[in-house]
Amino acid sequence: MRNRFFVYVLCIALLNLGSPQVAQAALVGTSQAVAAADARAHDIALVTSTLAREQVREQMAALGVDPAAVEARVARLTDAELRTLAERMDQMPAGGDALAIVGIVFVILIILELVGVIDIFKKA
Amino acid sequence: MAPGCALIRYAQLAGLVMAAGLVGCAGQSEFVRLPADLPASVELADTPFHPQTEHQCGPAALATVLGAAGRDAHPRDLAAEVYLPGRQGSLQPELTAAARSRGVLVYETGTTLQDLLAQVAAGRPVLVLQQLGAGPWPYWHYAVVIGYDRDRGQVLLRSGVDARLEQRAVVFESTWDRGGRWAIVMVEPGQLPAQPDLPRYMQAAAALEATAPEAAAKAYRAAAEHWPDAALPRVGLGNIAAGQGAWADAERWYRAANANSPADAAALNNHAESLARLGCTTAARHALSAGVPRVAPGDPLRPALEQTAREIAALAPTTGRAEPATCDQFTSR
Repeated sequence: MRNRFFVYVLCIALLNLGSPQVAQAALVGTSQAVAAADARAHDIALVTSTLAREQVREQMAALGVDPAAVEARVARLTDAELRTLAERMDQMPAGGDALAIVGIVFVILIILELVGVIDIFKKA
Repeated sequence: MAPGCALIRYAQLAGLVMAAGLVGCAGQSEFVRLPADLPASVELADTPFHPQTEHQCGPAALATVLGAAGRDAHPRDLAAEVYLPGRQGSLQPELTAAARSRGVLVYETGTTLQDLLAQVAAGRPVLVLQQLGAGPWPYWHYAVVIGYDRDRGQVLLRSGVDARLEQRAVVFESTWDRGGRWAIVMVEPGQLPAQPDLPRYMQAAAALEATAPEAAAKAYRAAAEHWPDAALPRVGLGNIAAGQGAWADAERWYRAANANSPADAAALNNHAESLARLGCTTAARHALSAGVPRVAPGDPLRPALEQTAREIAALAPTTGRAEPATCDQFTSR
C-alpha cells in the first residue's frame, strides 16, 4: 500500500518535471550555491523536492496537525528542511515530549532524596 | 494538569544529576576556556518571558527570541504553526521556518559555547535545544540563553516556567551538547550576527529568498559589504534581480561575483545564463569558454554548469538577427 503510494507520488513528480517550474533550471539557486560552496555538504539537490514535500505533508497529517494548517506549514520550509523532515520527522528530537519518563526520573530522584543519597530539592 | 513542560524543573534536576556524572568524565568545561575578550557577565534582562504551558517549550522559547527581535508573537499562535501533536513537541526546522516567516534571518550560531555566548554578548538571546534527560530517558527541551556569568560559572536562561533560571555552566554544556549543540539567533535582515560565518549566514539568508526576497536582498547586501571578496552574496543579489526579471541588474551582480571568484561555478553559470537572457549569446559563450576550465573538475555544480553550456551552445547560432547593441559592452572587453 505504502509502495503504491510512493509510485503515485513518483509519477506525479516525474510529470512535474515537464512543468514550467523548471523554466529557471539554468540558473543556480542561491541555496544550491551555498550548499555547493560548503565542503561539508554532501548532496546538492538540483531537483525540486516534490517527493519530500508530499512525504512531509503526509507525516504532518499523521502526527495530528490540523489539515487546514498543513499546507501553510509545508509551504514555508526550504528544500533542505523538507528533505530533513521527510527523512527524520519521526526520530528528530521534539522539544517538549517524554513526560511519563520524566515522571519516572522524578520518582527515582525522590527516592534517592528520601534515602539520603542526594540532596537537591531544598531549593524548591 | 497533566505533567509536561511544567515539570521541567525536575527534569532539569535529573539532567543535573546525570550531567554531573557525564561531565566528571568528560574533563574540562568549555566555559573556563572562553576567550578573554568575551565580557565577564551579561544579562539581557529586557528579553520578554513567556512561561510555557504543557509540551509548549518550543512556541514559548520562540516567542521569547522573536519578541526580543521586535516580532511580537503569542506562543499560542506559534503553537499552531510548529506543534506536532503526535510527537508532543516541536521540531527544529519548523521553529526556524516559523521565525523566518516573520521576516527575520535565523542564524545558526555554530557549535562551540563561545559561538553561542558571543551572540548573547552582542545583545541577542539564543534559542537552544537541550537534552535534559539521559540514556533511555531523553527529554528534549527548548530554552533561551539570556546571559552568563563567567566568575560564578553560570548560564542564565528563560526556561519553561522559570523567568530566570541560573544553570551551572557544566550542566548547560552537557545538556546542550547532548541536544546536538543546536542554537539559533534572530537577526534583523541587514544586520550581521556576532562573528558571522559566511556559509551559515548565507544559508540563512538564502532561506529567506523564496518567501521574503526584500529581506533576503538586505541580508545579501550586508554580506556583500562585510565580505567584499565573496561571490555568494552577489550571486544571491543577482538571483533576486533575475527572479524579478531584471536581467540587466542580475548580469551586473553575477559579473561582479564572477570577477571576484572566477572558479565559482554558480557565479559563472548564472553570469552566462543572464547574458543569454539579455540576448548576448556570443558574450555568454565567451564567458563559458574562458570560465569553465577554471572550475574544479569535481565541483558539485559542474553538471549544472555543463548543462547550461550545452543549452547556450545549442541556441541557434545564425538567427539572422543581430544581437542587441548593448551586448557590445560585454564582448569588447
